[in-house]
Amino acid sequence: MIIVTGASRGLGQAITERLIERGEEVIGLARNTNELKIDAIECDVSDYAAVKNASKEVKRMRKPVKAFINAAGVASMNMAVTTDESTVQKLMQTNLVGTIYCCQLFAPIMLRQKQGCFINFSTIAVALALKGESVYAASKAGVESFSRTFAREMADFNVRVNCIAPGPIRTDLLRGITDTQIENITSQQVIQRQFQKSDVCDLVELLLDEKATSLSGQVLNVGGV
Amino acid sequence: MNISKAKEVVISVIDEALEGKAEITEDMQLIGGESLLDSMKLVEVCLALEDVADEHGFEFDWTSEAAMSKSRSMFRSVAALAEEFANQSEV
Repeated sequence: MIIVTGASRGLGQAITERLIERGEEVIGLARNTNELKIDAIECDVSDYAAVKNASKEVKRMRKPVKAFINAAGVASMNMAVTTDESTVQKLMQTNLVGTIYCCQLFAPIMLRQKQGCFINFSTIAVALALKGESVYAASKAGVESFSRTFAREMADFNVRVNCIAPGPIRTDLLRGITDTQIENITSQQVIQRQFQKSDVCDLVELLLDEKATSLSGQVLNVGGV
Repeated sequence: MNISKAKEVVISVIDEALEGKAEITEDMQLIGGESLLDSMKLVEVCLALEDVADEHGFEFDWTSEAAMSKSRSMFRSVAALAEEFANQSEV
């Protein structure tokens, strides 16, 4: 089975739907599971105890975990000087700390299997140092750094860890971002167009594929940098 | 599980991980520079202890604060790991 965090909306929801389409058994982790039509566990990834309980619940299922996809995230497009304290905390706690909690607490399941992969989410804003995304990019830079090192720690157990770093994909996270702002970002990509959720789902499938077993510790920037 | 049985289990599991190549004492460190176990072997020990716990009807949690804490890590010695293993069997 495959576990997806943030499965109730945005990229997490799109990834979940794609995986179900291809016949995978998916367990969603989300703060609100009421509207999810798949097996789901209520879990706020920024809450260590909640992630731990979710990992115990999955462990008790005694099913192989093919992959863990850390798609839960929050965004705030502001300059550092106009980002308030609670937003800084929320960005770090959900994007970075939440990813770390999920990786460290679900890793033992994959270590036992000696098989599996983690797919974490960064942003192209890290590589492009996008103005107006400093705190958000910092939280995701942490995810990239963690993922590269975590990949080395997991490698002896045949567990792979990679990151996908999307550009401006149309999700709730982009509320309030104008077309001009989006063009400003995509014009800095190697492939200068806006990509869609489906493109990100394609990359998830690529990383899950058996032919990707040589890929670990990598950050795939959608559109290229 | 009482402490002496827990010690017996922990020593047996570590002995297996080290393939019988070292004498295992109660004060032997399991982490740090003086440990004979590398991180991979330590994970194998933990997974084996999970299996033993499962056979005895309890869950062994090696990702707990007690496991991670530098000052009171359960991996500071064989005796500490055995004590934690015995404690968790009682919960």
